Amino acid sequence: MVGRTLWPGESRLKGWVYLFPGLAIYLVFVFYPILETFHASFYKWDGFSSNRTFIGIENYRNLLGDGQFFKALSHNLIFLIFYCIFPILIGLVLASLLGRRPLPGMSFFRAGLFLPQVLSMVVVGVMWRWIYNPAFGPLNLFLKSVGLGALNRSWLGDFDLALPAVGVIGSWVQYGFCMVLFIAGMQRIPKELYEASELDGAGSLRQMIYITLPGLRAEFGVALITTIVAALRVFDLVFVTTRGGPGDETLVAAFLVYRSAFQQNRIGYAAAVATVLTLVIFLVSFLILRVQSRQEE
Amino acid sequence: MRKTYLLLSLTLIMAVLLAACQPAATPTQSPAAMATEASTQPKMTEATSEEPVAETKLVVWDQFYRGVESEVIDQLNKEFEESHSGVTIERVSKVQDDLKTTVKLALSQEDGPDVAQVNQGRSDMGALVQADLLLSLNDYAAKYQWGERFSTSVSSRNSFTADGKAFGEGNLYGVSPTAEVVGIYYNKDIFEENGWKIPNTFTDFEKLLADIKAKGITPIVFGNLDGWPGIHEFSSVQHVLVDGKYINDFTYGVNNASFDIEQNREAAKIMQDWVDKGYFSDGFMGIGYDDSAQLFKAGQGAMMITGSWLAGELTTDADQQFGFFLMPQQSTDKPQLAIGGVGIPYSIRKTTKNPDLAAEYLDWMVSPRAAQLWAEARFVPAMPLPADFKIEEGSLFADTVNAWNVINRDNGVGHYIDWATPTFYDTISAELQKLFGKEIDPATFTANVEKDYSAFLASQK
Repeated sequence: MVGRTLWPGESRLKGWVYLFPGLAIYLVFVFYPILETFHASFYKWDGFSSNRTFIGIENYRNLLGDGQFFKALSHNLIFLIFYCIFPILIGLVLASLLGRRPLPGMSFFRAGLFLPQVLSMVVVGVMWRWIYNPAFGPLNLFLKSVGLGALNRSWLGDFDLALPAVGVIGSWVQYGFCMVLFIAGMQRIPKELYEASELDGAGSLRQMIYITLPGLRAEFGVALITTIVAALRVFDLVFVTTRGGPGDETLVAAFLVYRSAFQQNRIGYAAAVATVLTLVIFLVSFLILRVQSRQEE
Repeated sequence: MRKTYLLLSLTLIMAVLLAACQPAATPTQSPAAMATEASTQPKMTEATSEEPVAETKLVVWDQFYRGVESEVIDQLNKEFEESHSGVTIERVSKVQDDLKTTVKLALSQEDGPDVAQVNQGRSDMGALVQADLLLSLNDYAAKYQWGERFSTSVSSRNSFTADGKAFGEGNLYGVSPTAEVVGIYYNKDIFEENGWKIPNTFTDFEKLLADIKAKGITPIVFGNLDGWPGIHEFSSVQHVLVDGKYINDFTYGVNNASFDIEQNREAAKIMQDWVDKGYFSDGFMGIGYDDSAQLFKAGQGAMMITGSWLAGELTTDADQQFGFFLMPQQSTDKPQLAIGGVGIPYSIRKTTKNPDLAAEYLDWMVSPRAAQLWAEARFVPAMPLPADFKIEEGSLFADTVNAWNVINRDNGVGHYIDWATPTFYDTISAELQKLFGKEIDPATFTANVEKDYSAFLASQK
């Protein structure tokens, strides 16, 4: 916190006035709904009628006995690989290719590689549904044309492959963000470090390990939190591509919230799932930030 | 420092709840969009000799958002306004999912829609009746003699007891303008080329499947990525094996009906048998419904099992000829039973200030004029067509209208079984995907589904 001391007689009120618009929006549209969701999780309620019954922690107790909830959560954990680990690795590789020295047509590649991040998730989902289509999708047609027709699958409808297939879409969307983040971070690292290490005989791999990676610590923190949160809250992609199917192979927690609340009129139960999901995300984010700030100290 | 991080992580998570609470507005169980040009000629109808009323606004929510359907409704609304001076209709049209997620809350408001389309079944109409938000239409049904337009079987689909618990009996809460019947579309060109005929019995039908497969043609175009089309494949065969009473009992949850019965296991076994024999499209587990309809329309298979709503789509810009027949019964002397029903009905908000006007509007939506406009747009109307209405003989639309008439004649209008419990759709579509994917056997399938069903019946007691 860089603050200046108050002038004599200056009131703190002014600060609050400046803060008010943002704070009001935050309180009304974020804080209040979160509280209300938490509140609703203790009730049995269909979402529209006036009979709302307080049932204490019954919803949470049901949650613990709900195999589907844990299955959904386990899918979210698997999505961590696709939403978090892969994009960070791919982003790092691309950033080290594009970030260190200027290449011809660099901004073209940068923009092109960042593009998936810009598209609406619904568009992404519809597009990949077509790519994966077993009858006329380009993926199967490509496999066939190179003589790998035996590998043709009904990707999104395959009990073993549906989850990874949706996950790959997530990786495709997320890596661009990581890449741009790391490129920006690399440009902040002083060139002298590289020059000096080169004189000492360090190759590019060593430079990567001893200079680039430590220099990107802050960026890793941001990338980890955004991608992990994305993996835990994924809804749109599943909604557009598989709706949780086949069976419940791609069911995720946020989709369970939607299904319980809007298809089955179980607002209280949906709120309980949402509350648990929020706590998990909060906890993970908090831990990462703590670890990171400790390292900085 | 730490405080800033705390705030940051709070900001990051806030998006979660917002995202989780937003219903997306994409059609789910919606049949393929129709692109037919309606030949609706504006025609003046005899104006009802009503006393001119002061400015009245009737707010109507519907889900006829697709081009052709929307034109029919706009035309009907226009004619209604013309015959009722001082009345304006404020129409709010939404996609099905959006309507489903918003209409319940809207109907609980004092300024909610006067008239709205409310989906049948327990989780929608049933829940609304339970919350005492819908107006019972019994008096209006008598006044307008709706009983002469709709059979009891049709009316019971829009009926609940006043406490919203018992489905299929009690008060009438809605009237449906359109009808649906699930059957088999066939590609006439492919059939003629190979000399195949419409089968008369289920045995003939299975033999036909084998013949088509032997010719190297896909017998049944099918895509089950969206989950719900599988219900129609399975339940079409189920409707051959069970009788009408069972389907009624099961849907309305009476007479100790169970899902775990021999006939359902048999139907499930037939499904897996068809998968093994390759009767369905290659990769059907990964194909969406709309894509499967496009494949069928392009001639990539001989037949497709789906509802009458696809007829319009199949007669627009198609270079193939299509026909429609009902899933044949085990023997020709057995009455015809098939999945069918009426479209999403119009209901009236209990607290509306203009119940009489709203009822008059409902009556207009199921009038002979409405039947005519729907038929011109090639939708099967739920009410009888005017006597002078001519349907082009041998056309696909003639086939679907005929199928609807046959199941009405035989009192064989079956049900969409996913109405049975509030969670039944999610349960059976997931379990059917497992069945079609050979993850579970027929006995496990019926047992798993029965678990959902019996749990619901127990909770009703």
